[in-house]
Amino acid sequence: MIIWLSILGMAIITFVNRYLFFIEGFRFKPSAQLTRFLEFSSFAILTAIWAPIIFVVDYGNGTQGFEFNLEHAGLDYLVATTAAALMTVLGVRSIIVVVLSTGLFFCLRWFL
Amino acid sequence: MPVLSKNRASDLRLCFEAIVATLPLAIAVIPWGILTGALGLEIGLSAWQAQAMSLFVFAGAAQISALSLMAGGASLQSLFGSTFVISSRHLLYSIVFRQRVIELPIAWRAAIGFVLTDEMFAVSEAKTRQTGHFSALYALCSGWTFYVIWNLATWAGIVIGDSIQDLESLGLDFAIAATFIAMTFNELRRFPVAATIVASGLVAVLIKPLFPDGYIIIAAVIGMCVGFFLSDDDDKSFNASEGTK
Repeated sequence: MIIWLSILGMAIITFVNRYLFFIEGFRFKPSAQLTRFLEFSSFAILTAIWAPIIFVVDYGNGTQGFEFNLEHAGLDYLVATTAAALMTVLGVRSIIVVVLSTGLFFCLRWFL
Repeated sequence: MPVLSKNRASDLRLCFEAIVATLPLAIAVIPWGILTGALGLEIGLSAWQAQAMSLFVFAGAAQISALSLMAGGASLQSLFGSTFVISSRHLLYSIVFRQRVIELPIAWRAAIGFVLTDEMFAVSEAKTRQTGHFSALYALCSGWTFYVIWNLATWAGIVIGDSIQDLESLGLDFAIAATFIAMTFNELRRFPVAATIVASGLVAVLIKPLFPDGYIIIAAVIGMCVGFFLSDDDDKSFNASEGTK
């Protein structure tokens, strides 16, 4: 029972977070300033999701004072990510970038 | 704002494009879907409960975190608290989408809202920037494609269990990085965008160990502030994305 209650509660929380600003009666008109702020949302969120896939910081377990280690994913990730970034900046279409860089990634993974 | 056009062929093509654009991201999360299903059974959920979580909650990070909390015997408050913090970034998607969907009938709004994920937001926003206008049909097809694959993966996890543990080391998460880079770096030449990307990426990496639940939303808001303060109201390139292109 408690599990079903957990699932129901979680379902409500996630749906409310998604649907809240879709409610018509909810009087809300974003100002020009807010609109400009929100224009950066996809760039900011997507980067916050993928960057930690490639780079990980380790602060240690606190027993030896302050530690700071920057670790990164394997060479396959680094090279293929760089390739994806370069292709995109050079104007290659995004679907092609995804296919080529993922292909390169798995080739590197195979050979390295 | 009609959702379907008179031209069925062009609607179908739009659906197809949405599915193709969503597939790399959907494939990338298959290991996590399998993990969600397998982990559910492992901590004592029934098969129905494990599947119901993906069917009704449909939020990968929140589900996996909830399962590990449940395994540790956490209270409902901490379970719901963690779910709220992890999924709070959807509030941001909801605000961004508001002006695009508010004129639609409630059934369409609910159907889009229910499948509003990181991946659907990414795919749909990229399309909006590319064409200059939002397509509800495109967003819907992308969102439900992702939903179907996530639930099939969960089901696979329930059926086969974690007998294929190496899935996570296959490197499928690379497709997430590749897709998100392809969707954002095309505007890297705009200084405020570049600064946003650098700031939010740097903050996310630095604070992830400190705030494992909230790091995405914290880093994103900081990145958005950086972009906001470096841009100005006259930035014409932004107005173009609102339909004047």
